[in-house]
Amino acid sequence: MNTPRLVRASAYASIITIVFVVVITVWADLSAPLKDRLKTLSGHHWTSKSILSVLLYAIATLVIYALPHKHGDEGLHGTLNVLFLSTVFGTILLTAFYTAHHLGYI
Amino acid sequence: MDIIAILLSKPVLIGMHLGFAILGIDAFLWLLGMLKDNSGSQRSRMVTAAVGVAAFVASWLVGGYYYVVYYGVLVKPIIKSGLAPWAHNIIMETKEHIFLFIIPLAATMLFVVMLEKKDMERLMLRKPAMRLTGAVAVLGLLIGAMGFIISAAARWGAVS
Repeated sequence: MNTPRLVRASAYASIITIVFVVVITVWADLSAPLKDRLKTLSGHHWTSKSILSVLLYAIATLVIYALPHKHGDEGLHGTLNVLFLSTVFGTILLTAFYTAHHLGYI
Repeated sequence: MDIIAILLSKPVLIGMHLGFAILGIDAFLWLLGMLKDNSGSQRSRMVTAAVGVAAFVASWLVGGYYYVVYYGVLVKPIIKSGLAPWAHNIIMETKEHIFLFIIPLAATMLFVVMLEKKDMERLMLRKPAMRLTGAVAVLGLLIGAMGFIISAAARWGAVS
């Protein structure tokens, strides 16, 4: 197993998962049909988001790991920094969205 | 009452959700210390991160069960009709979704510490790894504080 490659794959998969969680959460809260579809999938919209996010992370990690990577491992620290920033912005975005939603701005 | 019924009772579920989360936070704070001091063997870092990942997964499953089975039916209506409906609309809604960030982040950190120390130094990963490890712990603490606000709001709702 190539560990730097696994780290890169997991970091990219995590970024994709965070973006997915933010987008589907905001979208489902603004679109009743999507929320209903998520409820139908597992019985609860949050359970569906949980299952989908885990599947997305696992599949994205495997696919990105398997993809050919031309460049070396030198840019790995930049990838981890992007993951850190994605986490911070994802947290801020969701907090801001639900605050604005509660206050009636959205 | 059998053991399964006790384990699935509301106070025990909440306790396990919080207990596993504290274990996960502690593991990642411990890992942060190892990374900061550049101490601990590769194996001890891996074990610490693995304990953290397993604890967060357990907290997620137990908390998720409580949330899906009990929270929406029993707790949410009390908060929504109480003095602090924002505790559900803002805090709970945010909490339940940012929790989904933790498992991929924690798993990524487990893979990072699977690297040998010389590779971490060569790839300049120690500082980004410290930031990410800190982010996992801070996110866990933030979610814990949110849980406290939600519980307090439910109590206010019950007496208002």
